[in-house]
Amino acid sequence: MAELQTLDLTPGGQTAHVWQGGDADSPALLFLHPITGIPRWGEALEALANDFRVIAPYQPGWGPAKDDLPGVRDGLDLVLFNVDLLNTLGVGSAHVVGVSIGGWIGAEIAAIRPDAVQSLTLVNPLGLWSESHPGEDPFAQHPGFPTAVLFSDPEKRNELLMADRDPMDAYVEELLDLRASAKFLWPIPDTGVGRRLVRIDTRTLIATSEHDNVVAHEMGDIWRAAIPGAQSVQLAGSGHIADLEAPAALADLVRNFALAGVTA
Amino acid sequence: MKFHWFHGMPWPHLPAEFRDRNRSVWVDADASLYDPVEGGRLYHEYLDQMEYAEQVGFDGLIVNEHHQNVFGLMPSPQLMAAALARRTSRVAIIMLGMSIALYRPATRAAEEIAMLDVLSGGRIVAGFPLGTPMDTNFAYGANPADFRRVYREHHDLILRAWQDPDVFAWHGESTRLRYVNIWPRPIQQPHPPIWIPADGISSETWDFCAERGYNYVCLASRGIAAAQAAMDGFWSRIEARGVEPNPYQGAVSQTIVVARTDDEAQQRYEPHFEYSSRHTQDDFPGWSEAPGWRTERGIRERAAQTMRELANPHPARIPTWQERLHAGSLAAGSPETVTEQLEHLVKSLRAGHLIGVFHLGDMTHDLTLRSTRLFAEQVIPRLRHLWEDHEDHWSPRPIATQQSRAPRRDLAGVN
Repeated sequence: MAELQTLDLTPGGQTAHVWQGGDADSPALLFLHPITGIPRWGEALEALANDFRVIAPYQPGWGPAKDDLPGVRDGLDLVLFNVDLLNTLGVGSAHVVGVSIGGWIGAEIAAIRPDAVQSLTLVNPLGLWSESHPGEDPFAQHPGFPTAVLFSDPEKRNELLMADRDPMDAYVEELLDLRASAKFLWPIPDTGVGRRLVRIDTRTLIATSEHDNVVAHEMGDIWRAAIPGAQSVQLAGSGHIADLEAPAALADLVRNFALAGVTA
Repeated sequence: MKFHWFHGMPWPHLPAEFRDRNRSVWVDADASLYDPVEGGRLYHEYLDQMEYAEQVGFDGLIVNEHHQNVFGLMPSPQLMAAALARRTSRVAIIMLGMSIALYRPATRAAEEIAMLDVLSGGRIVAGFPLGTPMDTNFAYGANPADFRRVYREHHDLILRAWQDPDVFAWHGESTRLRYVNIWPRPIQQPHPPIWIPADGISSETWDFCAERGYNYVCLASRGIAAAQAAMDGFWSRIEARGVEPNPYQGAVSQTIVVARTDDEAQQRYEPHFEYSSRHTQDDFPGWSEAPGWRTERGIRERAAQTMRELANPHPARIPTWQERLHAGSLAAGSPETVTEQLEHLVKSLRAGHLIGVFHLGDMTHDLTLRSTRLFAEQVIPRLRHLWEDHEDHWSPRPIATQQSRAPRRDLAGVN
């Protein structure tokens, strides 16, 4: 059974709030969450834990780490946070899966610390900008349902993100998670990672969701072209937050690619 | 009691179908609707109205900052303040204000306010609004996630730049300057009065003003109940500090129409209210909350209202004249009626500064001047005595007229 732990990281000294599940002897998998954070130990993480030792931290600024946002300035700080987490857990390298903003963070880790990444799966990654394919602005949304645009159907926000949680707490966390995302993606989601993608020499898969309003599927081609040897696939039927909308398909995709190198 | 005249400088020529083709009057409204030649004529007309307000006896003129906004054609309040500084001689020029978090380096704001204070002979009020998400985050691209921190840093830098007699280094997160040493410095020492306009209920703004002794400005545009709640919150913070509230530390803005009779006020002015309401009603909600613009405390304070609104959606409707009067979002009628309404407003709120909005939407020049004059002649004298037992520490302290050089208008014969 998965548990949420609080760890002091070395050598950086940050505090990490991290979900861990799966067999300790399984291959390690670092899950980098999307804009909406990790509302719960959900289906995607549970499915991944069948095959992996899943390590799913809240990035500084999200969820229980909401107060850590001022301490991180840029992508390098986020890379160091995640590298320190693996180091603290005694994990030399891991399969890295990043959804949405987590895709950007995963790409940064792979570019800066290629030795720490066994395979890289980026799902609806943010971090590159194309004027031809801007997508919806995730930060210019109705304050009553601020992340609805991230789902293929607005109702899925209630169903998948808000359900079974205290409405006020869930809503506040939703807005604070968006705040953390804005810190790195405002006003245009160009994080500069494009200059570093050429450095990635890890097996990489780019997946884009069929009904993603924010990351146009053409962005998958742009990411693939920028990362040497990368492959790309489409996730049917899902919106931007693929770990909540298509948990089984996402877990299958990751398992097949990370463990068997299969992208079908 | 002090009386100030505010101008929003709106564009008055939106076509009837504007809202069918534009989701908002902010940020991305069709700029081809703006006509620069007509815009120039309007700027002069609007400045004439403000100068007229000085002539008839108002105490202050108010300019503010908006960006990419159909109803606020003043991206730079400094430019308008500079124009007013040359053409007026007595009134306070109240910058309400400059969005200080947008100025990089913020010493630019310190310099320009100092310039204006010098040029006007010490008649400047420095207003430091946080600014709206539309202006600051969406139009100017400022990151909402650390916007409040930047605001505080810029505030601190400006205050020090005005006051520190020595060259100093500023090592902030937003700004790093090896040498801060602004020229010119403000006439008003240690610095011009500082006013903080707040839209809505923000306990953080109450604390900010109360801790620093700044003037707190609330808006009655959402009705007297909301203004009352905002001002009560501020006074409670003042009292909690063991300080006797001074009404002059509070200001309230109100839309005001004065005519000879109540009926005439409604008949002649109501159509111009409809112009504004029709275009701003149900504006695009996506601009209203850039993520991070509210703190967690602010989100929690606001969330209950958001959830109530979602649970009970009611189609927006332009309020009637009577509904506006009843809600207290408008003071209108004969001089006697308006006097009564405003006396109730400022006494309830204990506000020593009244900011009048006399021009709105597509209101004509003549109607604007007429209402302004009637207010000055027949309402101000009836309310002037309010709070006369308190001292106003939040108005500018200009230098004596004889020390201040007026513009020379006739230079014929000068070689």
